[in-house]
Amino acid sequence: MKARRVLAFARKEVLEISRDRFTMGVALFMPLMMLFLFVYGISLDVDRAPLIVVDHDRTAASRELQARFLNSGYFVLQAAPEDERSAEHALMRGTARAALFIPPGFSARLGRGEDAPVQFVVDGTYASTAAILSAYGRAILHAYPEEARLPLRPEVRVWYNPQLRSRNFIVPGLFAVILMAFPPLLTALAVAREKELGTIAQIYASPLTGSEFIAGKLLPYAVIAYAELLLVVLGGVVWFDVPVRGSVGLLLAVGLLYVLCTVSIGLLVSTLVRTQLAAMLTALIVTLMPAFLFSGFVYPLFTMPPAFQAYASVLPTRYFLEFSRGVVLRGAGLGDLWPNVLVLAAYTATVFALAAWRFRKRIA
Amino acid sequence: MAEAVVEARGLGRRYGARSVLENIDLDVHAGQVFGVVGPDGAGKSTLLQMLAAILRPSAGTCQVLGRDVRRDPAGVQARVGYMSQGFSLYDRLTVAENLAFAADIRDVTGPDRAVRGAELLRMAGLDRFQHRREGQLSGGMRKKLALCANLMHEPPLLILDEPSLGVDPLSRRELWRILDRARTEGRTIVFATSYMDEADACDRVLLLRDGKPLALGAPQELRRDVAGQVYRITGPALDRIEAALETDVGVISFQRRAGREVRAQVRDGSRLAPIEAAVAEAAVPTMEDVFTFASAPPPAPPGAASAAPPQPPPPRIRNDVIVSRGVSVRFGDFKAVDDVTITVAEGEILGLLGPNGAGKTTLIRILCGLLSPGEGTAEVAGFDVARQSEAVRARIGYMSQRFSLYPDLSARENLTFFARAYGVPRSQLRERIAWASARASLENAGEGAVRDLSGATRQRLALACAIVHRPRVLFLDEPTSGVDPLSRFRFWRLIAALAADGVGIVVTTHYMEEAAFCDRLGLMMDGRLIALGPLTTLAGELGLATPDVEAVFLGFIERERAGQGRAA
Repeated sequence: MKARRVLAFARKEVLEISRDRFTMGVALFMPLMMLFLFVYGISLDVDRAPLIVVDHDRTAASRELQARFLNSGYFVLQAAPEDERSAEHALMRGTARAALFIPPGFSARLGRGEDAPVQFVVDGTYASTAAILSAYGRAILHAYPEEARLPLRPEVRVWYNPQLRSRNFIVPGLFAVILMAFPPLLTALAVAREKELGTIAQIYASPLTGSEFIAGKLLPYAVIAYAELLLVVLGGVVWFDVPVRGSVGLLLAVGLLYVLCTVSIGLLVSTLVRTQLAAMLTALIVTLMPAFLFSGFVYPLFTMPPAFQAYASVLPTRYFLEFSRGVVLRGAGLGDLWPNVLVLAAYTATVFALAAWRFRKRIA
Repeated sequence: MAEAVVEARGLGRRYGARSVLENIDLDVHAGQVFGVVGPDGAGKSTLLQMLAAILRPSAGTCQVLGRDVRRDPAGVQARVGYMSQGFSLYDRLTVAENLAFAADIRDVTGPDRAVRGAELLRMAGLDRFQHRREGQLSGGMRKKLALCANLMHEPPLLILDEPSLGVDPLSRRELWRILDRARTEGRTIVFATSYMDEADACDRVLLLRDGKPLALGAPQELRRDVAGQVYRITGPALDRIEAALETDVGVISFQRRAGREVRAQVRDGSRLAPIEAAVAEAAVPTMEDVFTFASAPPPAPPGAASAAPPQPPPPRIRNDVIVSRGVSVRFGDFKAVDDVTITVAEGEILGLLGPNGAGKTTLIRILCGLLSPGEGTAEVAGFDVARQSEAVRARIGYMSQRFSLYPDLSARENLTFFARAYGVPRSQLRERIAWASARASLENAGEGAVRDLSGATRQRLALACAIVHRPRVLFLDEPTSGVDPLSRFRFWRLIAALAADGVGIVVTTHYMEEAAFCDRLGLMMDGRLIALGPLTTLAGELGLATPDVEAVFLGFIERERAGQGRAA
């Protein structure tokens, strides 16, 4: 590999890219747009769930229980009908997500120190929301009588994200997902474009080698992709106010490695296809979709069947995603996360080598 | 004997079960100009790609510059200059940047580099455009630049895939001037072409058709082989001569030529039957004749030929179907069509000639009602193209350069679609399709997908699709580009038959010799019509003794430039 040829090729790429302002604009704007859409769109926080309360007791104690639910912030009162039937209707129609039934004599039983049955019904249509709501409901009910009835009083603390703000969890995940979505697309299109326009013929019939070609393509696009990374990190920290507990420098350094990796994946894709359309579809299927579903971004990997966990381990996104969340949320350092960095480095080298090897200077 | 630069034995290429090229044996010696000649789909590009070691052969062996294309492709790629068909440079880079890039990737450094680049650009007439983007150059200029880019590393062998395809005559001359220079520097040139006059200028040629070699040799040898089998026939009634030739089974093919003569090729051992009121004399064979012989079909049973009986129409008053007055159109600062006034009568064939970017296609678009003229008016089939474009479009047929057919549909499905799209009533569908197929001589297109048809058959199918609604005016935009000479002449006979039916026809072409088939010629340059009239009249205006189309065209371009010089 001759450095002069690589640089000559990279210079040509830079000239071409700089004269295509539109693509440049899209390349820098789209990641920010995705960041905003996803942070505002994906909220795993469950709050303000519409609640139906059917209170047959109508005492100070029953009203106090009701107030505990509403003051928690997780529920808002949808209606307080007289009978169970209207509550059922509301759940059926989907206007309420949960219902609380307080039977007559609730307050009297409590006063006598007896068990006071209360029914809490949750709409299970959205399983994960239902699980969270029922946990909230149970917690409120357990804490209800002021005086602790359990000899053991557990003190549960949430570390690293004490407010359980899902934004703090989504944003560092998006660093990994966004950089898997756009950079490979750019490079996949960049080579397919040369194939479509026929400019590749000039490259084929020249002493330029496969690795020189791939390296020359990789450098300018890696710079663009790195600019994308800086933009989304800036957006996450400044606009969404996500605290970075670990070292920002470390995050950006390993981010560079990850960017080289994703850009190389796009180049590998582009060596396998002929047209820009095929490049785009292939890039979407091998990068964005698995990055979204099999990286632990939203759906935790440990709940997946072993085969899918193995599949997820083949993709680089999970390694950077774990790294990014580790640094941002837990303040982890290289000492904790070095295996992830090692995997990313090996991955990048392998993909680059594969792309250079696959880029045969052949028509067919 | 000079050393062999290319040595191929039994070279062939298949894609799956389909063979696109087979049994190529050839030697090219140092300093030779070797032409690979044939129509589209003959396998020319495939052969050149294998010589440049960018396509792996599936059969045979090939040594290029002493290296095996299979074992050492990188060695071959690094040493040859290869120019692919179409445009292979970066349209967003400037002329100078493209040249610098070409030099960079081929390790051309040092002080000679700038000198050589400047010299090449000067030779190509591009030195004034160093900082213009490649995409903003004309087709001819882009081709010249691509050639310069391939000469930066001074390759001993140049492989050029149809370098002059779609290039105007002036740029074509300049292109060949650069190539002649390369040749005197001792470079070997292998190039593909479908232009027969370029084939004549080679040291050796290989004629290809359908992936098979037809003939190989020096042009003069090949011409000598068919000496005595070519006739030039002149007489007062060309129609009658053509009718007589039609029935002569010894005649392989015949073509109407400029200067009111018909050229006929006769089978070996046959003699031309005497024709009443006509003089037939033996002619010196050209490469075009050679190709016609080499690709001749076996003798047909008597009377089977006759594609369309060219019955001359009884003389009658011919109405004008196209009348344009002072038509102009601008794109920003650029005048694409500038003050064009023409008329075309029923049954008349008007040929528009001009380099790429001269405004031919834009003019046709205006006349088709696809583009409103900025100034001036135009009527087609009695309707105003700007205000009544719907009515105009229902009465015209248009065949574009690329034959806008659906490749995955069969010939019949394509015809049915176009007929329905033009509003042919369902009850008349069958009859109209049969008529259009007969008119386009499309007897055996079959039910297979169009993508598997030959270029010539696709061309006739596109014609059938353009006439299925019986238009009064027919526009043909480079209908014969890339089709072999035999099929091209056959196509022109179909056009003549349509004109005889009273259809007014406007046709653009790059092939100068095809001007002979037109009643009148319009020469276009920079959006303006610089000459209009029958070829013989135009030649007379310039004081030329023989009506040679290329000479006439270049004459008018020079006159125009001189006029501009005075004006400036």
